[in-house]
Amino acid sequence: MTQIDWLKQLLDQGFHRIGQIEIFLAPDSADAYWLCHESDRDSVIAAHGQPVDFLITSDPYQAREISTYSLENEYRFTKGQTNLRSGWLMKLHGLNDLLAAIDGFYPACFGLWVAQQRNVLDVQNLRDKLNRQTGMYRFARSISDEGAQQLVQEVCGPAHQCAKKILWQLDENTPLADSEASRFNGIGSGLSEPQAIPLLCREACNHFVAECRKASKREFEAKAQS
Amino acid sequence: MMSIAPKPNAALLIAGHGSTENPDSSVPYFEHADEIRKRGIFAEVHCIFWKEEPSFREACYLTDCEEIYVVPDFISEGYFTQDVIPRELELSGPTSTVRGKTYHYCAPVGIHPSMTQLLLRRAREVAPDIDPSETTLIVVGHGTNLNANSTKAIKDQCEQLRQAGYATVLDTYMEEQPFIADWHELATTPNVVVVPFFISDGLHSFQDIPVLLGIESEVGAAASQREVFRHNPHELHGRKLYYSSAIGTERLIADVILDQIHDFDQQHKSSL
Repeated sequence: MTQIDWLKQLLDQGFHRIGQIEIFLAPDSADAYWLCHESDRDSVIAAHGQPVDFLITSDPYQAREISTYSLENEYRFTKGQTNLRSGWLMKLHGLNDLLAAIDGFYPACFGLWVAQQRNVLDVQNLRDKLNRQTGMYRFARSISDEGAQQLVQEVCGPAHQCAKKILWQLDENTPLADSEASRFNGIGSGLSEPQAIPLLCREACNHFVAECRKASKREFEAKAQS
Repeated sequence: MMSIAPKPNAALLIAGHGSTENPDSSVPYFEHADEIRKRGIFAEVHCIFWKEEPSFREACYLTDCEEIYVVPDFISEGYFTQDVIPRELELSGPTSTVRGKTYHYCAPVGIHPSMTQLLLRRAREVAPDIDPSETTLIVVGHGTNLNANSTKAIKDQCEQLRQAGYATVLDTYMEEQPFIADWHELATTPNVVVVPFFISDGLHSFQDIPVLLGIESEVGAAASQREVFRHNPHELHGRKLYYSSAIGTERLIADVILDQIHDFDQQHKSSL
């Protein structure tokens, strides 16, 4: 089964939400899909697909542009951030465009979910990720286990604007400590599968690595002072 | 540009650096992908990044295609193209089989001979009315003492550009000699054209180099955050200085990507 086959099957089972995106079948066609921010769903339906002052596009690759900045004009460098802007509507034709749009908003996330379903998803633990950092990020690997566990609770999860489900551990033998961040299932809407599918975090993101570097520097300086 | 046969069952991955701080950094890669996608040569065209999503390691989850071309949208052979990308994609040579998929690893765009014409085109665009014989053309790159190869691409391009009629063509760098900061001592002509040999108008070409040139006194905002772009020429040190945006922002880099694929097929696939 290809990713398109998985997507079709999932839609047939009632899938309509990934991250902050609502997907629905266009009323006038069997192979057309509308995408909007989850908070805009009702207004899009009430306006019969012509909401006033919305950006309306049929180009799935505009997803990148829409998702680059939040409404507060912050650069969304990790796409799992929960500050996706609202006020846009995509009217797409065909599953290829739908998948392209999903990939634009949440890069590779559908493919990661499919890989998980197929049992071929390769998860990378934090230590492996940190150990292959070079240049200025080499220092990140010095972070203590305690420091890394603490950082997960301070950086990850919906309380810190990330909507992804963490799959990695510190290392093969060290799971993440129990916390809201480590428990989060990757579905921020409260829906369950298959109405929604989770955003998966198969390795710590570059933001987390950068935070590890800062934390490990702080640990080093604290040790030096004491 | 060489013609390339359609590859309806293959995917193209354009590999770039990306940034967690500067949203302008990845724009050229997506534009190159859009341009190639429009031509319908590949079944799928995706961008993958070191510092953004999707990451190099997520590349294999992006496509169902079993044949994948990877072109580093990098300016030189060096640490990223020789170490990072092969390691992250688990490549072992020009063609590798990884988890049942065949990856063809092409050379980076910056070292292709067709880049010379793009550099010339950019130099002429930024300073259309000047006499090349009274002009120094400076190509500026990053430079690093970490990898001797990183300046080779610029040196090779400058060698070719020396046949284009400019009084002088110089290769300069941010972090190694000859330094771009010394441009006014290196160039003796009344006109100086500076083309950054970078893929994107990121931190270096739009923020750091203008300070090194003396156009700005301090590092400014990202390119996309500017209300007013720079106006050429800048009158500095008794010269007219013309500063262009990064060479990678040229849409025709899409052709260079396809040229690298064409060359890869010529060199490696004919022997398969």
